[in-house]
Amino acid sequence: MQKRPVACILFMLCLPLFAACSPKEPPQPAKKPPVEKLLIGLIPEQNIFNQLERYEPLGEYLSRKTGTKITFKVLPRYGNIIDSFKSSGLDGAFFGSFTYTLAHAKVGVEVLARPVALDNTSTYYGMIFVRKDSRIRTARDMKGKRFAFVDRATTAGYLLPLDYFHHHGISDYKHYLKEAYFTGTHEDAIHDVLNKKADIGAAKNTVFQRLASEDPRILKDLVVLERSLDVPENAIALRKDIDVSVRNLLKESLLAMHLDPDGKKVLERFGALKFIETTNSDYSVILKYAEEIHLDLATYQYMNN
Amino acid sequence: MKRKIAIGLAVYSVVFLLAGGYVIRTIRNATTSLDRLITLHQVEILREHYLLQIKKVQSDLMLKGTPYSKSFDSVVMHVMGMGRLIDTCFECHHSPRGMERLNGLKRQTDKYKDAISRVLTVRADTARLAAEKDTAFRVGEDLIEQVGDMIAFTTSRLGENTQRAMSEIEHTKYILYVLVAMGPLVSALLGYFFISGLTRPVKVLVESARKLKGGDLDHRVAGLSDEFGEVAASFNEMADSLKEQMHKMQRTEQMVVVGELAAGLAHEIKNPMAGIKVAMSVLPEEAYISSEDKEVLQKVVAEITQLEGLMKSFLNFAKPQKPRLETVNVNQMLNTTLTFHLKHQSIGAGGSGKIEIVKEFGELPATQADPTQLQQVFLNLFLNALHAMPHGGELGVRTSLAEDGETIRIEISDTGSGIREDLIKKVFQPFFTTKPKGTGLGLAISRQLIEQHDGTIAVANRPGGGVLFTILLPVKAEGAAA
Repeated sequence: MQKRPVACILFMLCLPLFAACSPKEPPQPAKKPPVEKLLIGLIPEQNIFNQLERYEPLGEYLSRKTGTKITFKVLPRYGNIIDSFKSSGLDGAFFGSFTYTLAHAKVGVEVLARPVALDNTSTYYGMIFVRKDSRIRTARDMKGKRFAFVDRATTAGYLLPLDYFHHHGISDYKHYLKEAYFTGTHEDAIHDVLNKKADIGAAKNTVFQRLASEDPRILKDLVVLERSLDVPENAIALRKDIDVSVRNLLKESLLAMHLDPDGKKVLERFGALKFIETTNSDYSVILKYAEEIHLDLATYQYMNN
Repeated sequence: MKRKIAIGLAVYSVVFLLAGGYVIRTIRNATTSLDRLITLHQVEILREHYLLQIKKVQSDLMLKGTPYSKSFDSVVMHVMGMGRLIDTCFECHHSPRGMERLNGLKRQTDKYKDAISRVLTVRADTARLAAEKDTAFRVGEDLIEQVGDMIAFTTSRLGENTQRAMSEIEHTKYILYVLVAMGPLVSALLGYFFISGLTRPVKVLVESARKLKGGDLDHRVAGLSDEFGEVAASFNEMADSLKEQMHKMQRTEQMVVVGELAAGLAHEIKNPMAGIKVAMSVLPEEAYISSEDKEVLQKVVAEITQLEGLMKSFLNFAKPQKPRLETVNVNQMLNTTLTFHLKHQSIGAGGSGKIEIVKEFGELPATQADPTQLQQVFLNLFLNALHAMPHGGELGVRTSLAEDGETIRIEISDTGSGIREDLIKKVFQPFFTTKPKGTGLGLAISRQLIEQHDGTIAVANRPGGGVLFTILLPVKAEGAAA
């Protein structure tokens, strides 16, 4: 009977030693985070519902790790994401390369990290493609045809075609083409050309390759006419007024995900190997494009009207 | 009875176990049916909910572009809700055919989601937008039709299953009612059976005891088995013993009466008879008595002497002397009796045949007995044997110690003509005799004397002819009561 209290005291004294001996884990959340929740916007890179389903596990994981409730809000258009910082109270977003450049210029968001795809790439490029049987092979062949853009705020789905037209001396594509419209997603731009709803399309290579792995008609029936330079894959950026500690914790959690077994599982479902640090310098190629086509990012009208 | 009780309890337990098992099985079947029914209802609710969600999305689609259109977030929420519902369906167990239908539904749902996503994100001219909207609407209508078909199928199955489940529940209720009604009845019947199995033998025993009490000493208990059979056997032995004791008591009472009568009679007869005998003995000496009269007088004296002997025997029988116990050797006593008394009596009897005496004496312990009374018994039996063999024969005298070591066995046999079977039971009765000049008291007195020594005497015809008397005497140590 006398031994039990002594054993309890010894056990209590040893607790700190046990804690010190436990394996080191990724950064743990503070007890009371300065920011209780973060609303992160998602651009409609693919089917918006699939997009949400893809990001939900990532949000749950980051919530556990940071102690800050992280929820995602999918937006119907790329350009909406910039407006939503003002209207819907977004705290951050997964931006496309052109959207981030615009948002950085207009709203002042700061990029944190971007994923590395399963093929070990962290960049993508834009492509202009047509059906093989369409006989469209040059900019001249595109006259009077239907063009499926993705969004005015995308690199692959709009900036590249603009640069392409610029290089081929076409200053007003609206009059050059029979019809120009915005599909809203890269997937739909590809599908529309494949299904002959449009004659020419523009989209990013990562979506093109993913769809090609699911539907062999894409590689069989489509031909790529032009590709852009490599630009950073969609990256997460936060408002600049977000608490630094939250920003750092989120960034550290993302960068350490591939070291955590749970994080690794989430990454597998997400379709990435890991997250890597991203800075504004990674977007210099976008600035180069904008400069070439004389685009003033501060005044650029990105809405698809 | 123990076996019956054990079997009864086993039967009782088995009946209750079977009934309990059946009830549990029936209730389990009914609850399984209810579970299945609830699951089907849940499935139906889920599908109805799913259908409602699709219609909600269709409504969102139709209202898009009108002043009543829902917000983008609201539409996304409805579509996501729809997607989650179809995913929920995969959590349940389905047959391969059901799984195939469900996969078809999932594919159609994904197609619908693609179409809705496209409508929400595409920016194009009015005709293209209308075409996208129309495509999505038609996909949605196809989906509604498919889900409607599945709901109709589920509803029809639900009806059948409900009918079946209700029927099973009715059956269960019926079984439970029957068991509830039958349970106490079966218990009562089994209880009655076992209780009557216990009370009937007790009743028979009580009735027999009453009859015995009422004086019916010939009544015996019959028809009982098991432990009650053993009790009945003991009861019957007790009745036998009681009857024997009763007879002994009656005889004792008779003897007391006869003894008192005989004592009085002997006293009244003895003195006059003594006077007559003296007178008859003196009278032949008178001169005037002729020789013929003298012979008559001598015969009178002889008859009076015989009457005196008879009186003496009768008094001995009616008022027996208490045994005076001494330590005796039975073998020695038998030898003495044979040597002195029997030779004299044999000669005196004047038999013409030769009597061969066979003695087989076993080793016997000394015992307490009245030697005079034992000699009288032995002499009586020897004389009876000699009289039974007028033309000679073999007189057997055998002794042995019984296996228990506490009883001396004495056997006296002859090779005469034996006793008729109808008379053999009467040989120990007083005044019964087959001899012309016998008093009929010799064997009665012998038995009386042996019983005074706490022994028994029995008679039986020997298979080869003749009679065998068997005396059993307890070995008594010095100082033991008579």
